[in-house]
Amino acid sequence: MTTIDQVRAADSTRGPVFFPRQFAWLWAAAAAWLANGLTAGIFMLLIGLPLLLVLVQAFMPALFDPLHPRMTLDAGSIARTFGDARLVASILNSLLLAGAVSITATMLGGGYAFVLNRTDVPFRRFLMSVPWLVFLTPAYLKGLAWGLLISPGGYLSQIGLMPDWLSSAFFGPAGLVFVHTFNLFPLPFIVLSGALAGLGGEFEDAARLAGAGLWRTWMRINMPLLAPAFALCVIAVYAEVLSDFGLASTIARVSGFGLLTYGIYVAASAYPVDFALAGSQALVLLLLVAALVVADRLLRQQATARLISGRSRPARIYALGFWRWPAGALGILVAMLSLYLPLGAIVVRSLCRTLSAGLAPGNLTTEFLRQAMTLSNPSNEALLRSLVYAGVTGLAAAAVALLLALRLDGPNRVMRPLVLGVALGTIAIPGIVLGFGYILVWNRLPLFEGWPAPRYGDASLLVLGYIGAALPYCLVIILSAVGQLAPSLTDAARLHGAGWARRVLHIVLPLIALSLTTAFLFTFIRTMFELPMSELLVPVTGPAAPSVIIHLFGKDDEGMGSALLLLAMIVVGIISGLIWLAANRLFGRSQPSTVSGARA
Amino acid sequence: MSVALSCRGLTKRLGARPVLRQLDIDVAQGEVVTLLGASGSGKTTLLRLVAGLLEPDAGTIRIGDDVVWSNGFGVPPERRGVAMVFQDYALWPHMTVAGNIDFGLRSQHLPAAAIKSRAAHALEVTQLGGYAGRFPAELSGGQQQRVAIARCLAARPRLMLFDEPLSNLDAALRDDLRTEMMLLVRNEGITAIYVTHDQAEAMAVSDRIAVMREGSIAQFDAPATIYRAPADAFVAGFIGGFSLLPGVAQAGEFRPEGLDTPLRTTSALSGPASLVIRPEDAIPARGFAANTLSGRVVSRAYQGRCWRLLVTIGQTKVRLDWPDAPEIGSDVAFDLAPETCTLVAR
Repeated sequence: MTTIDQVRAADSTRGPVFFPRQFAWLWAAAAAWLANGLTAGIFMLLIGLPLLLVLVQAFMPALFDPLHPRMTLDAGSIARTFGDARLVASILNSLLLAGAVSITATMLGGGYAFVLNRTDVPFRRFLMSVPWLVFLTPAYLKGLAWGLLISPGGYLSQIGLMPDWLSSAFFGPAGLVFVHTFNLFPLPFIVLSGALAGLGGEFEDAARLAGAGLWRTWMRINMPLLAPAFALCVIAVYAEVLSDFGLASTIARVSGFGLLTYGIYVAASAYPVDFALAGSQALVLLLLVAALVVADRLLRQQATARLISGRSRPARIYALGFWRWPAGALGILVAMLSLYLPLGAIVVRSLCRTLSAGLAPGNLTTEFLRQAMTLSNPSNEALLRSLVYAGVTGLAAAAVALLLALRLDGPNRVMRPLVLGVALGTIAIPGIVLGFGYILVWNRLPLFEGWPAPRYGDASLLVLGYIGAALPYCLVIILSAVGQLAPSLTDAARLHGAGWARRVLHIVLPLIALSLTTAFLFTFIRTMFELPMSELLVPVTGPAAPSVIIHLFGKDDEGMGSALLLLAMIVVGIISGLIWLAANRLFGRSQPSTVSGARA
Repeated sequence: MSVALSCRGLTKRLGARPVLRQLDIDVAQGEVVTLLGASGSGKTTLLRLVAGLLEPDAGTIRIGDDVVWSNGFGVPPERRGVAMVFQDYALWPHMTVAGNIDFGLRSQHLPAAAIKSRAAHALEVTQLGGYAGRFPAELSGGQQQRVAIARCLAARPRLMLFDEPLSNLDAALRDDLRTEMMLLVRNEGITAIYVTHDQAEAMAVSDRIAVMREGSIAQFDAPATIYRAPADAFVAGFIGGFSLLPGVAQAGEFRPEGLDTPLRTTSALSGPASLVIRPEDAIPARGFAANTLSGRVVSRAYQGRCWRLLVTIGQTKVRLDWPDAPEIGSDVAFDLAPETCTLVAR
């Protein structure tokens, strides 16, 4: 038999085959530990540690006391939260608002999904684009825009569409439910469109052949099959409303309707910072969101197998006949209320000197836009800063997510479920809580003081916060792209002599390039308009654009705020469009129509 | 003849479940060996262990003269000199046919001239010369399979592995492609290990077949030997179409359970045994009792050159090839020549 030494000798002469060093296993084990440690370290630094500190601090409120820090367990601040009528009201407000919106948004999203996926409604392409565009525009844009439209003397009242009593009712729970509903209906729309697509026509055909009419088929067959998806939508919307900061800091703030997220912001940005109060409210919010995440997981485990059928036949499309046009008109109404009316209000306001004078020729001006485009203007500086932050965040988050995804792809039994679980869980974590956690880590922990970067009060920490908030989304996008690649593609490359780096560069990267671009663009757009981190981690060099926009509106300088918002959207739209077109041109050809080998 | 692959004591568990149990196998240079078995028998695991895509728990793997895995030390797959035709072909969809073939050669840092000549040869023998610039999605299933083979041929592997490469194709295409594929392998003199669960495919492509059962090899022989003399009831049962009639063997005779008439056999087996009945061995009885069995027709199916009958003999259902179509429920009698009466122990 050939001994190991003989094989080594053979290796030196023959080339293609070698035998690793005797302690290769040690080296491999150390490398695996190092990689696992690095993966865990990245997650710990970006998400785990900030959240941990939020939790710990809720039970040890004096831990970060500026004068007398001590590690005393004390439920005092939690008791204070539940003893303060205003804070209890904000918790109840959050719960009730989320409950109401979870129903209304699911109904609107469900109806929209049904009409677009199952009927011959006109303007389908146009209507299909609406939920995605709504999804990409920030909540506070709609909050600010509806303020312009509905406030007394606002645009709708100027054209006689808004009586005063309705205008005052809007600034309260009713208005919040309304704006949230039209802001969040894309979520149920996307989930239920997927469920409707998976619900093949065969179930309906079988029911019809068994003698059931249309109504009975829907009530007894389709609706029960769709019930888990509906439940998932309710949970997802509930979590979104609980975590929302955009409307909490616009309409709700103006209306004096206290919500948990805004309460955390107020406590965390007060001077001096009320760590104890912010921490206990953050704990309440985290527990509520965690309960929803657990409910979501449990439901998914039971629902997925029933909903996804690989053998689904194309679904039946109902001919609406006369009702086709009313249905189309309703769709356009939804598009107007959720997107075009708010966008229009921002555009108009950025072109008007004052709100009250409306679209009178004398009131029109390009001054705000001109200022927003002037290099030394504070708004323009904020815009440029945000573009840089968003670009860096997009690149970094996509790169880190790619490395994590490559590390986690394959039979990594410990890290994969752990990191994926944390990533999916952290998608639901409110940005405001994560932002507060960053303050605790980088402002209060001695170990993290004095770093050149990231540093508290520096733009580097804001960017790190953006990356932490975006990483779970990026990871889910890229993991799903990597996971769809048939393992045989990289196995084949391995057998043909390609090492890890060559496999990643020549096989994996070209095949997931478009997903990588998607992850970058998603992060770029999201970061450009990200509010909670921008508000909590304001760098001393100057705030990011979202923060400036909110403060301009707060100072009744809506014209300038609208101009900045409009300009930000135009610039982001152009940059994203160009990057997407370039990526499609470069990589579109190389994207497989199927990812399991080459089978066409 | 020198040994191309030698595995000794290969053991692999997936979780608590043993997938391979102390498996030994040798494959000679230039030989085509098929691993035949049902799902979960360990055939694909063995193939992936040889490729290096999985690590054994114990044992030794040698490719040619080189130990590629032993006692926890292994040569990584990219250094084993092994190529594989995957079930889904695993063609890289973003590379042209030429790109797919060149990629491995460039990974090995071969000189440009060698890459060019090897790729040209691979394209020529697989008749893909006109398709070098096409992407895999622009090719038919058969052409894609040829690209997968060309990619392996160009690498000049010491061992070529086939992981059920025909299982995704329809029956009509499968026969043609199998013939074409094995012609290429034979012409290039490549040592190949072929995994399949289809016994007809195994019979057609192999010099030897290893019939696998629960992580070990039940029989490793030439196709004709396995067909003529299956080692045991499992192998006989796995080879399609064979029926097993239980009974007792003694002194060159076999007495089926519940029947009085013994059958003569050339087998020396004694004790509880099963008679292996190959459908084509049954000859309609000629009116005098000589190794005759009879049974009742349960079903019949036309198969072109004969009818395939399902006949009950006592409690056992037996498949027979028959020249005409007897009525369902009627009795048929058939003779078996003593030399075709293969017995396996129960």
